[in-house]
Amino acid sequence: MSDLDKAIAQLRSCRPIPESQVREICHKARELLIEEGNVVTVTAPVTICGDIHGQFHDLMELFRVGGDVPDTNYLFMGDFVDRGFYSLETFLLLLCLKVRYPDRMTLIRGNHESRQITQVYGFYDECNRKYGSANVWRYCCDVFDYLALGAIVLGASSTLSSTMEPIDEDVEIEVCDQSGGTLSRFSRQRHRQRPDSSSSANGVPADRTGPPGSGASGSSGGTVGNPTGAVLCVHGGLSPLIDTIDKIRLIDRKQEVPHEGAMCDLLWSDPDEIDGWGLSPRGAGFLFGADIVKVFNHTNDLSLIARAHQLVMEGFKEMFDASIVTVWSAPNYCYRCGNVAAVLELSEDDTGTGIFSRSNGDVGRSKPPMLENGGLGNGPARRYRVFQAAPQDSRGMPAKKPVADYFL
Amino acid sequence: MADEANTSDGLYPIAVLIDELKHDDVLLRLNAIHRLGTIALALGPERTRDELIPFLDESVEDEDEVLVALSEELGNFMEYLGGSEWGHVLLSPLENLAAIEEPVVRDKAVESLNKIAADLSPQQIEEYFIPMTLRLAKADWFTSKVSGCGLFTAPYSKVSATSQEQLRQQFSILVHDETPMVRRQAATNLASFVREMPPNIVVDEMIPLFQHLVSDDQDSVRLLTVETLIAIAESVPKDQQSSHGVLLTSLRNLMEDKSWRVRYMIADRFEKIAKAVDDEVVSRDLVPAFVKLLKDTEAEVRTAIAGQIPGFCGLIDRTVVLNDIMSSIEDLVSDTSQHVRAALGTQISGLAPILGKQETIDHLLPMFLQMLKDEFPEVRLHIISKLELVNQVIGIDLLSQALLPAIVQLAEDKQWRVRLAIIEYVPLLASQLGVEFFNEKLSTLCMGWLGDTVFSIREAATHNLKKLTEVFGVEWANEAIIPRVMQMGSHPNYLYRMTTCFAISTLTSVVSMDVIDKSILPMLDKMVEDDIPNIRFNVAKTYAVLVNALRKLPEEGTLYSLEKEGTEFSPSPRGQELIQEKIMPKLKKLQEDDDVDVRFFATTASADPPAAAASAVPVAGEPMNTSP
Repeated sequence: MSDLDKAIAQLRSCRPIPESQVREICHKARELLIEEGNVVTVTAPVTICGDIHGQFHDLMELFRVGGDVPDTNYLFMGDFVDRGFYSLETFLLLLCLKVRYPDRMTLIRGNHESRQITQVYGFYDECNRKYGSANVWRYCCDVFDYLALGAIVLGASSTLSSTMEPIDEDVEIEVCDQSGGTLSRFSRQRHRQRPDSSSSANGVPADRTGPPGSGASGSSGGTVGNPTGAVLCVHGGLSPLIDTIDKIRLIDRKQEVPHEGAMCDLLWSDPDEIDGWGLSPRGAGFLFGADIVKVFNHTNDLSLIARAHQLVMEGFKEMFDASIVTVWSAPNYCYRCGNVAAVLELSEDDTGTGIFSRSNGDVGRSKPPMLENGGLGNGPARRYRVFQAAPQDSRGMPAKKPVADYFL
Repeated sequence: MADEANTSDGLYPIAVLIDELKHDDVLLRLNAIHRLGTIALALGPERTRDELIPFLDESVEDEDEVLVALSEELGNFMEYLGGSEWGHVLLSPLENLAAIEEPVVRDKAVESLNKIAADLSPQQIEEYFIPMTLRLAKADWFTSKVSGCGLFTAPYSKVSATSQEQLRQQFSILVHDETPMVRRQAATNLASFVREMPPNIVVDEMIPLFQHLVSDDQDSVRLLTVETLIAIAESVPKDQQSSHGVLLTSLRNLMEDKSWRVRYMIADRFEKIAKAVDDEVVSRDLVPAFVKLLKDTEAEVRTAIAGQIPGFCGLIDRTVVLNDIMSSIEDLVSDTSQHVRAALGTQISGLAPILGKQETIDHLLPMFLQMLKDEFPEVRLHIISKLELVNQVIGIDLLSQALLPAIVQLAEDKQWRVRLAIIEYVPLLASQLGVEFFNEKLSTLCMGWLGDTVFSIREAATHNLKKLTEVFGVEWANEAIIPRVMQMGSHPNYLYRMTTCFAISTLTSVVSMDVIDKSILPMLDKMVEDDIPNIRFNVAKTYAVLVNALRKLPEEGTLYSLEKEGTEFSPSPRGQELIQEKIMPKLKKLQEDDDVDVRFFATTASADPPAAAASAVPVAGEPMNTSP
């Protein structure tokens, strides 16, 4: 068993590894990450996860539900640290897994992967408390600077394969909670029309919800998006300075997250029910409306943007005719919000036709060969796995008071 | 080790340590205290007694942390003084420590004093220990008195009758102390004190003390007397108990105390009380009290008494249980507190052996059925985990008829952890139900878990299949489960295809050469070509497990059955053949794969046997380590 495997085993049991080893691993991680572009290309199948925020035991729950590394491919969309009690163990475990299985793990940067933010929201203090110095925090922040800003998922299947019985080919979205069954399925919309907003009394389109009492719903409709399959994953959202994915590729990302500009926007923006761009109440990034997403997806041959950054009580939320989805993976956020969490599984394309595989975010690269005859290919099939916070007894004893090195 | 080194290294390190005892830095002082033994060893017994101990005597003006350490060290200091005849020297510093404000320090000091008392001679006790106990007990400030309370039991049996009487008198004064802290401590120690005395003294002198504490106006004092009550009842012979009405009156008062904390203590120790008192009291007083506690207004009390159900019901007549108690227990099934129901769930099965078959069917089964439908999974799980007791009484036929539907319902529960817990009981159920019943009722369920949406369930399902194969044998597995496992291998989603790899790895030890050759290897041949690298490296891991097994497997039988029987067996040449012809070429191909992880696991799998056994096998066979 190599040192790295030992470190992984130790971190899995929620025990921090020695400072010297952290340094070594952060160094290796930087060597690895520097080779990655600003936008990493990932091939389906992959399971996309949103914010974790140091909720280590819920991350373990995520692995229990979604499968272990390296067996399942994962893409984490940032915000690994802060707020939860185990930011250190969470980030180091994900980083070790990244170093050990670089092809199975993809990590991109969230707005909390920054020196400024971690000093306010807990990660800095946690490192100080657990090691008695800020060195580990510094090593981790150096890694943050090298994390990619986004990822693009290619080759995702447009049909869902069910758990046991074959489902209708037209099923596009499946929501599974932790029960053996399925919460809800959504057929592909053949007649592409926007939901009639006048149908509900208050003018807001009625969202579909899951079975009563399940606590999980998420709102999804069929895709009306572009006839192509690439999925862009980014922590926050879009930027007025970025109209093509290539513009993201041009950013010099190896720096602290700036207060403004394209890099800041990618990590800070939120979608909103507005037209065009709006000011963000967060004080960084922007709000952007359905039209922005539509144009961006069209220009870049995207069918979907997956992002995290905002708490959604149902774990995931599709917006703007399913052209953008928020995925949230921290159940019972801050140990008090009462929300469920979700991960998004994009399955492999088992038809072998690979109609999406040539899209790489460039205009017109993916000519959908099957579009006319099949009506398929309106976006990747999405399976959301909803899960809840790990029960108390699986969390083990609260971490022992760390024995500080300086004490001895 | 360090001690010996220091003695030979001369006195310089010791001087440093002694300096550190007076150092400004708390950490250094603490460190020095922990190495007092070293210092004492270097000084020799005489100087330790004459210089070190008096020095320590004066060092009670320190941080609490240091004092706790000092109190603890002094408890083990006897050996450095030149034997137990000098043990009393330690009493003086500990006496000072026992008077400190901080309870942690006092408790440690008292603990150390009691430890020392065990090694002192009666003469030393009389001469040094008892005067110290009395001094502490008579002190002005309550801290000393509280410590004093803990120092009566240890010396009591070692001293003369007059000293004993002196101790008892002083204790009585403590019991009547005006501060509740002292009375609480006296009440806590009264139980152990009572155990040191013969019945007549208990009756004459201790029962009045107990009586005084029972009528204390502080409930925190009263609740501590429950232990004393048990101690007194245990030391007074049962036939004499009825003549001491005081004891019974106190018991009744405690059981109906207006403070729930007192009632909780009673409920929590109900079985112990019932064992200590005589039978008449049990049937006359305790049975009604038990029923009353079952209906207590506080959920905590009901939870505690629910835990005593089988224990107490075992002590009394079956007809009494049925007539007087059963209906109250039945009420708890629909208690408003889930904790009460959960506590009942763990205990209720224990009633089955007491009640016998017919009554179990009449009374317990309806309760089980209701609790199996409880909205809290914990309640349901507690019931299922204790079914074995019920099974022994009423037999599996009745049990399965009555409970199987409920169990099937749990097996499809929305909460995956509930399903997980049920999976663990399936092998047990299966072994009791028999193969026919299993195939009919449970097999679909087990196969369904292989395709569960939750990874942990799929993983548990494979382990479940292994245990089932251990129960039903390889023939059954070959017919009933292998085809289903292989079917999963062509599932369109890679996460489910992977289940086949996991299942093969887990099943390897329970299948025969034939099954590996005819069913498993052809399936893996197909999966080696999978598009998804994750599948390919899992195939490599599975090959590693198979190679390891084939190196040992004989022509007939399985590794599990042969090892269980303990028979000697030698590997069949067919195993080597399979490895060389069917596995190695595939692994060779995987070693040239495009994906680095596939290459890694393929290389590990085709490495030498020790390496393969050390790294690859546990990875594939062990459950995933995601829980702390």
